[in-house]
Amino acid sequence: MKYGFFPGCTYSSSAGYKESTEAVSKILGTELIEIEDWNCCGATSYWSTQDIPAYVLPARIMALAEKQNLKQIVNVCNACYSTLRKAKEKLSKDNELLEKVNISLAEEKLKYSGKVTIRHYLEVIVNDLKPEDIKKHVNVDIKDVIVAPYYGCQLNRPWGDLDNPHYPTMLDRLCKIIGAGVLSDFSAKTSCCGAASIMPHNKECLSLNQRIVSDALFKGAKVISTICPLCQLNVDASQLKLNLTKIPVLYFTQLMGLAFGLNERELGMDKLIVPFKI
Amino acid sequence: MMDNESLKTLFFETYHGEEIVNCIQCGSCTASCPLASMMDYGPRQLFALAREGFMQDVLSANTMWFCVSCYGCTVKCPRDISITDHMYALKKMAIKHDLKNPKSKMPMMYKSFSDPVKKFGKITDTSVIFRYAFFHPIDIMKNSRLAFNLAKKNRLEILIHPIKNLKGFKKVMTKALELEKK
Repeated sequence: MKYGFFPGCTYSSSAGYKESTEAVSKILGTELIEIEDWNCCGATSYWSTQDIPAYVLPARIMALAEKQNLKQIVNVCNACYSTLRKAKEKLSKDNELLEKVNISLAEEKLKYSGKVTIRHYLEVIVNDLKPEDIKKHVNVDIKDVIVAPYYGCQLNRPWGDLDNPHYPTMLDRLCKIIGAGVLSDFSAKTSCCGAASIMPHNKECLSLNQRIVSDALFKGAKVISTICPLCQLNVDASQLKLNLTKIPVLYFTQLMGLAFGLNERELGMDKLIVPFKI
Repeated sequence: MMDNESLKTLFFETYHGEEIVNCIQCGSCTASCPLASMMDYGPRQLFALAREGFMQDVLSANTMWFCVSCYGCTVKCPRDISITDHMYALKKMAIKHDLKNPKSKMPMMYKSFSDPVKKFGKITDTSVIFRYAFFHPIDIMKNSRLAFNLAKKNRLEILIHPIKNLKGFKKVMTKALELEKK
């Protein structure tokens, strides 16, 4: 299966998201074709400060995908996913805005028509593949890796059509498919990590991360698994300051890679701040 | 400065703020907000003020600058009010009408993010933090251990590789800004 791929700005410097996504997608046969010359989606910064440019940034990415004849755009970052999807939904309802966006894009001979579908890689794996197509690649028993599945905010909210917006289970199901243990009562699974506010409001956001980490620890998890680079960085890095037992924070793709028999280095796990030890 | 009445009309008509008249003041938004305790007014109170027309107080509050866009309130709201989107609108209005809360640090964070986007078409964590550090050095110093850890793991990207058609991208963004100002 072929998909357009929007890696987003932090993909390559993250703690092994790139390495593990590339490795896992190769095994699963989900071919991710990078959108050529993509730009930053603008994220919360642009939504908070500007009207038209906030739509032009994600629209350029989608227009480039259309030019490459890609029908779907797969994201690995919750913020990128929500930005692209938000822009697409608004542009489908607001012709005046659509016109302004296309006048801007015409400067680069691009046109946005709204034909692409916006996806997240987790959801692609769970919804497009059959459980047995994933299971057949599992060759390491990781049942002792008990996972606290952490979804963060912007995949299921505000939509709630992929999964329950308060208590999603998609990642839980994937963990079970690959044979990992999974907490059935992880109540912090969609608690906020503080996102970019962690820099200016460190103390307040640390307590948000404390809730996520302690809930995972007290309920017996051995790792926290994330689906977004900013969530991963915040929950991982916060532990430098939290006075709690350390718990590694793995991308869901790293978890899958472990089950598929890849080694930690191949999955970029040497880049984690809290080291992975089981 | 624009008066309260005109600001309310602008919020209601241009930014679709009129749906806050449906608010039943239940407070689910404030209760589900991760940073409500830091806010001058929680979202419930903020909407009550806006509805009564105290728009200058609304726009100079720190409330929306603490909104982290988690959309927790939006999915909880029994009246389907798109609360997070209204926070975005109020932030944009506060900037445009020069009423933004002087103590809030997030406007500088957003600027530190959008500057490299304008210049290179994309960001790196380092490029954003470097700019932000210039204005709030203490916030960065408090994270020196993290910076050291990231550097050790070769995760600090010092160079940004700009997008290929940077010239075209800049033309697009210039046009977008031109249309914004119209």
